[in-house]
Amino acid sequence: MIEIKALHKNFADLEVLKGVDLCIKPGEVVSILGGSGSGKSTLMRCINGLEEITSGTISVDGFDVGDKDQLRDVRKKCSTVFQQFDLYPHLNVLDNITLAPIHVLGESKVAANEKGLDLLKSVGLSDKSGVYPAQLSGGQKQRVGICRALAMSPDYLLLDEVTSSLDPEMTAEVLDILKKLSGEGITMISVTHEIEFAREISDRIVFLDEGQILSDLPKDQFFADNGGLADPRIAKFLAKMGKAHG
Amino acid sequence: MGYVDEGFSIYDLQLWAEGLGVSLWIFVVSTLIGLLLGGMIGLVRYYRVPVFAQLLMVISEFLKNSPVLVQLFLVYFGVPALLAVDMSPAQAAIITLSGNTAAFIAVIVISSIEAIDKRQLEAARSFAFSEAQIMRRIIFPQSLSLAMPMLVSLAINQLQVTSLISVIGVVDLTRVGDIINQRTFEPFIVWPVIGLTYFILAKIVAMVGTRLERKFSAYRTVNQL
Repeated sequence: MIEIKALHKNFADLEVLKGVDLCIKPGEVVSILGGSGSGKSTLMRCINGLEEITSGTISVDGFDVGDKDQLRDVRKKCSTVFQQFDLYPHLNVLDNITLAPIHVLGESKVAANEKGLDLLKSVGLSDKSGVYPAQLSGGQKQRVGICRALAMSPDYLLLDEVTSSLDPEMTAEVLDILKKLSGEGITMISVTHEIEFAREISDRIVFLDEGQILSDLPKDQFFADNGGLADPRIAKFLAKMGKAHG
Repeated sequence: MGYVDEGFSIYDLQLWAEGLGVSLWIFVVSTLIGLLLGGMIGLVRYYRVPVFAQLLMVISEFLKNSPVLVQLFLVYFGVPALLAVDMSPAQAAIITLSGNTAAFIAVIVISSIEAIDKRQLEAARSFAFSEAQIMRRIIFPQSLSLAMPMLVSLAINQLQVTSLISVIGVVDLTRVGDIINQRTFEPFIVWPVIGLTYFILAKIVAMVGTRLERKFSAYRTVNQL
């Protein structure tokens, strides 16, 4: 379980997160929506310890993100897929996927390679294991990014705007894979602009506005006229995003 | 048989080979020590180790911004006087050139580490790699690739700089040229031969460098999509 309590995050004088309380149970698929600057990406970066917490606490299965000695345990449980992919350019696709399993989890090279190749197969990239990231399209890179995260057998998969750098066609290929994953019982926390995708995969939708949670509702309630849509800010956001995506 | 009219002999060839050996030896040793020291200085400064980082920066700045010849005199005449130790010209040459090379290598090390995209490093941190693992597995291979062209041109430059050590009496290639020239009075034969020798050495260094460069840069030079 991920428990976030009274989380505040400041960048110098700018208060980005203003007291966030959120609990994510194993097996849940939670989407975090919100406009630019609402703090949703910062929230994500706080969970895996990439941003230092100003005040409040985050714990992942009892491990405290704010404690330097426990952060490594947190990170072994949470794998992140990044907006800009952030693959290691000097390693081929398979080595990108197996680097952490081998050197962080201590898996054997043979076992890690086998798992890596299985993952690549599941995302339709079996033929790309030996090429460098520079030789892949954006959608292919992101599929490798997903494999890299899954290779750690994480308890929680953090998706940080994973399709924001992709064109619609590539977005579709990545979302298809994530849809499949969401049906397999893995806990997912997804920051996204893809409203339809969020509607399709999520159990719960959290709406962030100016660093605070405006609503935290089961999916059906969030999209109901008398639920989340009753809030004018959410209605306006959804209308705008709907237009933006045709 | 007058001393002056003696002309060239087979022994000059032997002298030339010995000078070449000395120049090469001092170049190779001081480059290796310089790489090791420069790498360490670069890391201390990159990780901003308190006190050491600042101290090493001051020393590096002095080494980069003063003439190598002056550094050579300082080490050869200054250190023995100051510490009451004996120092051979070759030792002074190796100490000076190693330190000077290290100062330049430190700069290359820092700049090639800082050129690595920070987002990759964050990604690696999020996968629970330790900082040492990130340096070894992710930063170092890429930095080496970026640093190779700079390291090669530095090496070629430092090879030419070794000629300065002849001044404190090391019998290197340049000193051998001087000795033969003084005896034969054939400067238009002696110095072109000596110059050509350095030229060929530099070309060999460049060739080896280009090979290494290609090897470490394969990931950047593949046909991109």
